Amino acid sequence: MAKQIVKRDGCSVLFDSSKILNAIAKANKAVGEEEITATGLLFVTEEVCRLLEARSLSNVEEIQDVVEEVLIRFGFSKTAKAYILYRAEHTKIRDAETYLMDIYKKLTWAPAKEEDIKRENANIDGDTAMGTMLRYGSEGSKFFIDNYVLPKDAAAGHANGDIHIHDKDFYMLTETCCQIDLIRLFKKGFSTGHGYLREPNSIESYAALACIALQANQNEMHGGQSIPNFDFAMAQGVNKTFRKEYVAAFACFLEVKNELDAAEAVARTEVLLQGLPYQPTLGNGEAFGQALLACHGETMRPLLAKTHLHATQKAIQATRRRTYQAMEAFIHNLNTMNSRAGAQVPFSSVNYGTDVSAEGRMVVENLLLATKAGLGNGETSIFPVQIFKVKAGVSFNPEDPNYDLFRLAMETSARRLFPNFSFLDAPFNAQYYREGDYNSEVAYMGCRTRVIGNVYDTERQVTCGRGNLSFTTVNLPRLGLEAKGNTAAFFTLLDERIDLVFRQLLHRFKVQGSKKVYNYPFLMGQGIWLDSEHLKWEDSIEEVLKHGTLTIGFIGLAEALYALLGKHHGQCEQAQALGLQIVQHLRRRADEKARETGLNFSLIATPAEGLSGRFVALDKQRYGTLEGITDKDYYTNSFHVPVSFSIAAFRKIQLEAPYHALTNAGHISYVELDGDASKNLEAFETIVRFMHAQGVGYGSINHPLDRDPVCGYIGVIDDCCPRCGRKEGEGVSEEALLQLKKQYHDVPM
Amino acid sequence: MQRNASLPCVHSLRVHGVVEESIVDGPGLRFVVFTQGCLHGCPGCHNPATHSFGEGYETTPQALLTQFATNPLLAGVTFSGGEPFLQPEPLAFLAKQVHALGKTVVVYTGYTLEALYPLAQERPAVASLLEQTDLLIDGPYVAALRELDSGLKGSSNQRILDNEAIGSLWNVLQLRQGNVPNG
Ligand code: SF4
Ligand SMILES: [Zn+2]
Repeated sequence: MAKQIVKRDGCSVLFDSSKILNAIAKANKAVGEEEITATGLLFVTEEVCRLLEARSLSNVEEIQDVVEEVLIRFGFSKTAKAYILYRAEHTKIRDAETYLMDIYKKLTWAPAKEEDIKRENANIDGDTAMGTMLRYGSEGSKFFIDNYVLPKDAAAGHANGDIHIHDKDFYMLTETCCQIDLIRLFKKGFSTGHGYLREPNSIESYAALACIALQANQNEMHGGQSIPNFDFAMAQGVNKTFRKEYVAAFACFLEVKNELDAAEAVARTEVLLQGLPYQPTLGNGEAFGQALLACHGETMRPLLAKTHLHATQKAIQATRRRTYQAMEAFIHNLNTMNSRAGAQVPFSSVNYGTDVSAEGRMVVENLLLATKAGLGNGETSIFPVQIFKVKAGVSFNPEDPNYDLFRLAMETSARRLFPNFSFLDAPFNAQYYREGDYNSEVAYMGCRTRVIGNVYDTERQVTCGRGNLSFTTVNLPRLGLEAKGNTAAFFTLLDERIDLVFRQLLHRFKVQGSKKVYNYPFLMGQGIWLDSEHLKWEDSIEEVLKHGTLTIGFIGLAEALYALLGKHHGQCEQAQALGLQIVQHLRRRADEKARETGLNFSLIATPAEGLSGRFVALDKQRYGTLEGITDKDYYTNSFHVPVSFSIAAFRKIQLEAPYHALTNAGHISYVELDGDASKNLEAFETIVRFMHAQGVGYGSINHPLDRDPVCGYIGVIDDCCPRCGRKEGEGVSEEALLQLKKQYHDVPM
Repeated sequence: MQRNASLPCVHSLRVHGVVEESIVDGPGLRFVVFTQGCLHGCPGCHNPATHSFGEGYETTPQALLTQFATNPLLAGVTFSGGEPFLQPEPLAFLAKQVHALGKTVVVYTGYTLEALYPLAQERPAVASLLEQTDLLIDGPYVAALRELDSGLKGSSNQRILDNEAIGSLWNVLQLRQGNVPNG
């Protein structure tokens, strides 16, 4: 009899025959028939032990082989089968555990640039302690979700690449994103969970608190954060700043003019400005001046008129300067501040362009100017993603009050790639628009997510306090391949996938709905999410979550059409017609599901640069390299015409625009320009206007950026490189490069 | 420069190629026709493949116009080269049609306007094409005077002349030759 057995990890333990007996008993019980009596169990176990000794076996795997052999020999075939299954199941979990530990080893010991797995999210610095800790969490979480949380069909569908469950590692934790109404949040101040912040009182503190709000919310959700009404919100900070500057300048003028001491000048100012019907603001200088004069006697008026003029001019100057600095700091903070355990820059978006007040306009003008000037040495900033709202009557036409800002936005975008442009006049956006109500203006998350319609509460079709709950993407090219050119078969398969995705989204929604307000002290605790202000600390959030969207996405329409017809929608009319039919079908199914459940099922044109690579790789394994389909590194984004296909801008816009109307959970069209767009704004504007005319919802114009091969800088380089300062043909010293390397991670070495 | 009422329809021209939408060959989005054939031989020329007269392909102003007209975003057409003024008849005709659509015409030439004057005496279409030109970038490319950042010009010796400037310079040239300017 073996005294020791050797376990899988190589260590030896004392042999214990009761373990064998128990395992056989368990398997037998699982079968439910073919009952083995207690004596029978002992007998089988003894036989196993005898064989082990005779063959002098001591390895766990070998022992299990013998158990199977004996069971079968004694005619307990069903029990043998159950035992085999039980073994296989354990092996699977054990293998997965080994797999997970392998990943942990890689995360721990290999530098990020060598390990794909450490670089998965470009915003996370995978070499830092916190970055690595985050990755441990994410990989462990994926393992847990795959093996213990996900319904089997959804897990299988994700693993084999039929579908992609986005942000799967956060499956049972939180939601994607939220559009934050800063105006509501700032009123009476708020608490981040780490301290209470009182209502801000200057443009600087408005901008700083905006960053803090984005950061705090980012820590509670897995996607990006957006401010849908940036100009309206910041305008209040400008207003407060102006008033203070005006009063200060007023007092200052009196102090000098009347040779008063400072305290007296302030006291006098207070008296003079008392009892007026309204406060001085950036926009009402003249009216306020008249009111001021009317309030005082004839003899005072000449002095008051002068003082008012001086105070107004000084206050405008100072407010403009301070607003610029505040916007500069805002951009700077959003590109450097950390969230999520300190390893990730928040993915932030801001929407603006429709506030026509003097204050709102000052905010936008200065945000754009600061963006145009660039960070530090003039580098292009990545965050926040900026979206300029284009609206006829407000910003679109030359006679509109914010047309100048639209022009400045285009000028900025031509140089810095942001802002992008959203089109409030597209019919599907215009239907929600109510003049003067920012909550009715559609906003886009930088990545393209759009949340405004609301079947759960049709009275609340608004942007603020809402966001996406989760989304899952269908691999369209695979359906095209499986259908083997048969369109009817394609739609049958598509319906199966849609059913699977809907089941999975609802499963995830149940998990999300089981959470409580205290799980989201900022998002729900501070009333940012719509209706959460009515909830108590211990309340479930399921009901208020229904304001969010449950979204199905799609990728690779172009390759799917190619698989079905041998042409994509950039190449032939028939393909475009079928493409529209497919996306209409997806939308119809989402609408039906929304009606049936009262939940916001919706359709997104998936923004999935990383994921589309995963689908292609899996399909290449399965179907080989197929021309026009799997012969690439990425499936084409959502409904886009393939990037490699040369097509005139107007055609691309015409072809893609109709899909914007169908994808109610978000969309974007890109136009690529060859050349420096900042030197041809007329061309830039022509394209933006055409997007507007064609009913595009959200568009972006890209152009190639220069790259300095010496220092790695990417952006517009006119004469000398903004990062290293060299001109073409000049070099940079080794020390200077090492110095730069400390500041920028992408300096080539 | 004043535009003449009638121009003969010309059947074909030799081009090196076209670019459907360019943002670097004049204001707005432009349809660029690169003509085939050039005698200037500027050292450092960026487009040597356009020099020979045999390469490229034959097309018609009508075909180019049809292609041009499908794109609603175009601000106009740009003739580049090669040397456009070696095929002034079809280009002047095309330019006129482009104007009829309310769009503009930009022309690059390796000749100076002064050098075009004598050519126009023998070949009236040279003047016709100038009449149809909204923006002329004239003069040979001089590598030593290369301008990196000036937008349309390749080298600093070149000029950017609008239609009015072309007209007045042309009048001066006519006066110098003792001819009375017409109109
Ligand atoms: S005129 Fe233009 S095409 Fe001809 S040689 Fe000079 S630069 Fe080249
Ligand atoms: Zn550099």
